[in-house]
Amino acid sequence: MGGGDGARRTDMKAPIAPPFEIPDIVTYAVPGFILLIIAEMLYVRAAGRGRYQSADSASSLWMGFGNQVAKVLLGGFVVASYFWVAHFRLFDLGWTWPVLVACFFAEDLAYYWFHRISHERRWFWASHVVHHSSQHYNLTTALRQTWTGAIGLAFIFWLPLVWLGFPPVMVLMFQSISLVYQFWIHTETIDRLGPLEWVMNTPSHHRVHHAINPRYLDANYAGVLIIWDRLFGTFVPETKDEKIRYGIIMQLGAFNPFRIAFHEWAGIWRDVSSAKSPGEAWGFLFGPPGWSPDGSRKTSASLKAAWRAQYGSPAPSPAALVPTAQPSQAETLHAGEGAGGPY
Amino acid sequence: MNDLVTLAGSAIGVLAMVGAAMALGFRARARLTEVELSRIAVEEGRTLQDVLIAPDARCALARLADGAVLVARALGDGVSARIVSSSAARVTLKAGRLRVALSDIGYPPIELRLQQAPPAWAVAMAQGGPT
Repeated sequence: MGGGDGARRTDMKAPIAPPFEIPDIVTYAVPGFILLIIAEMLYVRAAGRGRYQSADSASSLWMGFGNQVAKVLLGGFVVASYFWVAHFRLFDLGWTWPVLVACFFAEDLAYYWFHRISHERRWFWASHVVHHSSQHYNLTTALRQTWTGAIGLAFIFWLPLVWLGFPPVMVLMFQSISLVYQFWIHTETIDRLGPLEWVMNTPSHHRVHHAINPRYLDANYAGVLIIWDRLFGTFVPETKDEKIRYGIIMQLGAFNPFRIAFHEWAGIWRDVSSAKSPGEAWGFLFGPPGWSPDGSRKTSASLKAAWRAQYGSPAPSPAALVPTAQPSQAETLHAGEGAGGPY
Repeated sequence: MNDLVTLAGSAIGVLAMVGAAMALGFRARARLTEVELSRIAVEEGRTLQDVLIAPDARCALARLADGAVLVARALGDGVSARIVSSSAARVTLKAGRLRVALSDIGYPPIELRLQQAPPAWAVAMAQGGPT
């Protein structure tokens, strides 16, 4: 058990320190990211499968660059939080092979819940929306990352692992491995991968996650292993019956990285400022994206309900899936309303 | 220092990738048409009544049959559109240009250069009246 007095804390420093030097995995992966992106561009040009647009890619890549800047500025705060929580850990799990295996699964489970709540609660969505805001789905989309993750306290989802006793550096290491793994699944150039689809998060599964077609909303939150979606009932397979449309329901109208990074936070600010009661303010902050007091805005649940009402549940016949079954490119707003829509 | 070197390397990488995308010709740009705007309106269960499209076909303002307006802009090779009540769109007319602003900072104002006199409904919007 952890915790206790200062002397005990000193004794426990050894088990949480890694027995070997761990490189900055994401930084080392960057050259590989660049090579794979250029390779994918060449493939898309040659094979005509997949889609790129230079301005969209530029905005995605600058978001990735800004994410790195944010990590330089605020990463220390996140790491310090992990080490602070480690003082109160329940167990000294240390650096052993069984613990490494357990940490891999635990980190992936923590990622699932972080990701799921990032879609279901507007506070966390305000950071995560950035990653979904491209109408394209290619390897540059993988690098379209938030600048406000640390400020938005996204890291709290991993703190229970440290509290349990997994060494902070081990948790950070598996977070980096998960991030690197998820890079390659952002592509339209790879089809299904046979038996791997049962266990692993794949390009096919993740295309569904990035889709705004109502049948695909709220699905496939996995990081590395798709088993969590199968376990918690959020798994939806990709179908060839319906062309996937990417982005968010209220597609952004700008490539400006600052607008991309902060538009949802600005929307929250505007809504909370105009809230008529603490309950409304709470709803605007922590309700589902698109929540409004009178229910006049679209949420993921209302979009899916409308789709089910029109086409039946759970799976409409292919013949019913005409293009109009998909959400439109326009979002209907009411007077004075702004952002805050889902996906 | 290490961080600065890493960031500088990343910036060079970004420029290289954007350069590659441009060199490979991924520069398609969408152009708005009345047909496209009508399709967007119909998907929302609305009917297009009148439309103003910028000369470069990169942005448009349309009046819908129910009095709402459709604001649309081409974004790269895609389209981004909003349907709002006429009171939610701030329209200004100045020096042959019509500017439409919404309250969403994720959707910057559109500006159309007018080649002829604006329709009465657009003028009414600019004056704050009903369309």
